[in-house]
Amino acid sequence: MSSGSGSIDVIMVDMFPFFLYFAASVITGFHVYTLLALAVYGAPSNPLELVSLLGSLCLLIAAYVSLFKPNAAAKLALIACLAIWCFYGPAIAKSVRPKLGGQSSVLQPK
Amino acid sequence: MILPYTAIVLLVVATLYSTIVSFRRADAGKRTWVFPEATNRSARIVVGGLTLALLTGLAVWLGVGARNSTRPASRFLIPDGYTGWVRIEFEVQGAPPLPMEGGEYILKIPPDGLLRTSSAEQYGWAKDHYYYYSAQAVHPLPDSGSAALIWGKINGEGSGASGKRKYEELFVGTEQQFKSQVPVS
Repeated sequence: MSSGSGSIDVIMVDMFPFFLYFAASVITGFHVYTLLALAVYGAPSNPLELVSLLGSLCLLIAAYVSLFKPNAAAKLALIACLAIWCFYGPAIAKSVRPKLGGQSSVLQPK
Repeated sequence: MILPYTAIVLLVVATLYSTIVSFRRADAGKRTWVFPEATNRSARIVVGGLTLALLTGLAVWLGVGARNSTRPASRFLIPDGYTGWVRIEFEVQGAPPLPMEGGEYILKIPPDGLLRTSSAEQYGWAKDHYYYYSAQAVHPLPDSGSAALIWGKINGEGSGASGKRKYEELFVGTEQQFKSQVPVS
């Protein structure tokens, strides 16, 4: 009984990067896809969204590579994450800046 | 609304994890959450099988969705020389249903541009056709390109004294005429 439980634990430990990369890839990819889909209704699209979507695809590939070569997968996942941050970084900065009072000085009274 | 936050949290965790695994050396033979080893054959088979099932399910779902996303085409017969907005109101009690001819719904627009029908509005992809009609002849109206005479086709639902009513509207005329009708924001 304990050896079976231990075996499952080992499998879960070894599959942790797969689950992490897979979940991150699907969630970020779906999110950016929904934003890109708004272009159908005339919303402006950003080229960084496409870079991010490509990053999500690479992260999905990294998830499957992690089953065979966890270290190589980690390097690929890191590159993919950086590509995804290309979109999320500026997006977070843009949404946080007004809340911190760093809005454009054009709007401030002289 | 939770989607962006989940995406950011997972992205932060995945970035930190992949950075640690990429730049730190694991102790030989020590298996941890941060330094896992390659999974065994049975786990790979399970993941491969689940992936195959997921892809098959996705393909079936997309196939069924594509099949259900079509509708019979509509043939709009517009009085010869008519310019302006055309409106079709659906599910109007007492109004005649739309006739079908050659697999297409026939929408014969009266001279005032308002057609009422008891038929339900159809949704999905289809290539509609537009014609000017007169007692003598029927000739087609271009609905795309620079010479298009069909613009601003919309579907909507409005409420009035007779309850909610589904409608479709389109503009018949040149692009210049259409733009003079629609205020540019």
